[in-house]
Amino acid sequence: MDRRFVFILVALAVIIPMLLSINLPVSVSEPTQQFYDYVEALPAGSTIMIAFDYGPSSLAELNPMAKALLKQCFDRDIRVIAITLIVDAPTLASALIQEVATEKGAVEGEDYVFLGYRPGQVQVMLGMGTDIASVYDTDYNGTAISEIPMMQNITNYDQIDLLVDFASSDTVESWIIYANVRYNQTIAAGVTGVIIAQMFPYLQTGQLVGLLSGILGAAEYENLVGAPAKGMQWINVESFVHLLIVGLVIIGNITYFIHRTREG
Amino acid sequence: MKRQVPLVLCFVFGIVMILTQFSPHSVSQRVYEEVISWILIIGPFALVLATVTLIQTHTARIRRRTEHWQYSFVVFAGLIIMVLIGIFFTPQNSVFEWLYNNVQLPMDATMFSLLAFFIASAAYRAFRARTFEASLLLITALIVMMGNVLVGDFIWNKVLFWTPWEDGASWWRQWILDNPNLSARRGIILGVSLGVISQSIRIILGIERSYLGGGD
Repeated sequence: MDRRFVFILVALAVIIPMLLSINLPVSVSEPTQQFYDYVEALPAGSTIMIAFDYGPSSLAELNPMAKALLKQCFDRDIRVIAITLIVDAPTLASALIQEVATEKGAVEGEDYVFLGYRPGQVQVMLGMGTDIASVYDTDYNGTAISEIPMMQNITNYDQIDLLVDFASSDTVESWIIYANVRYNQTIAAGVTGVIIAQMFPYLQTGQLVGLLSGILGAAEYENLVGAPAKGMQWINVESFVHLLIVGLVIIGNITYFIHRTREG
Repeated sequence: MKRQVPLVLCFVFGIVMILTQFSPHSVSQRVYEEVISWILIIGPFALVLATVTLIQTHTARIRRRTEHWQYSFVVFAGLIIMVLIGIFFTPQNSVFEWLYNNVQLPMDATMFSLLAFFIASAAYRAFRARTFEASLLLITALIVMMGNVLVGDFIWNKVLFWTPWEDGASWWRQWILDNPNLSARRGIILGVSLGVISQSIRIILGIERSYLGGGD
């Protein structure tokens, strides 16, 4: 089969389900349920730190889950400290937080704060364990940390009830090594489908209290939060692309066995 | 002297930082916090180094007229424009945000999206049940792929309804991830960790010196 024909099939498998807006039923996996339950169990006034550790390339998978979590936090009066360790993420993260905050009526500086980016992954993680202000002296807009109302009683990880890392690379493992092991920080993660397999050992040991897996995790979380959005839409699209790839693999193997039989 | 000073510094700081992990004494913790703040200052230099390397690489490409050398001018244009706007007008500036949202974001997302096309093509061409191991990999991959999407359980419940598993695609996907995948991954983590520990000891003791340059 010509490669271009495969490309056309993939394009059609993406476009057609989007136009037809097919909605398949979503069941929730155990790691997603654990994530949701942990956040639900936090009392109002708790603080979650969200690390937006992904760039535009992984936005399609991770933005929907970040958005669903932000909605859950603002609905439940959980304060959000957002940061990023990825240099091309601040604009993306800032826009997403502002969008959800506007929708939910959350107030900047009181309900949430975006601290932006600081270079040096491990150094930032370790530095915040001692004093967040030593790493982030201002927020993303340049406001001094000391002047932000919600940061008045927050010094380091001791005042953070949960750290959530939305990641497309190995930052989750670094957060576990430096924030969890060194400072006992509770961590949950939402990652791209590509790296999900390497997260399960940490889930089993309890070093991750919850785990969202790619666009499926986003759809499951949107379902739990009761805010269906892009995750629900895109998991249906992804279903058809996966189905196509499985079909192509089966056809490829049938032709392979036919050829082999003919050749003797 | 040029090599001995870094070796001594590496040894002293390596040993001191290990000891601070095992001592809750206030002096030990003050030392730890102090060194962490030094690291925070040193960290950003990596960005400077990366920028210098990028400039050197593309300057060399232009000078040598290597293949597609013209694109190096695009790299410089992007670098200079974004850095100047970012420094003088902050990243919150509307022009910076417009360039990010309308140039960087779609280009980055497009590059990653192309993977879907290449993976589909590669899977069709390369995923063949040639041997027992290849067949095992093939079956595992198909189950995980189908378990990763909603349509997997839908098909399983319609076609394989006679099996003991309801939502079997996601059940088997989870079983694969929780058992063979987890076991293999844990083995890799342990192996890598032991490697990191032995390499760190070699560096601290000055046995491994390649980080100093020169190859010895």
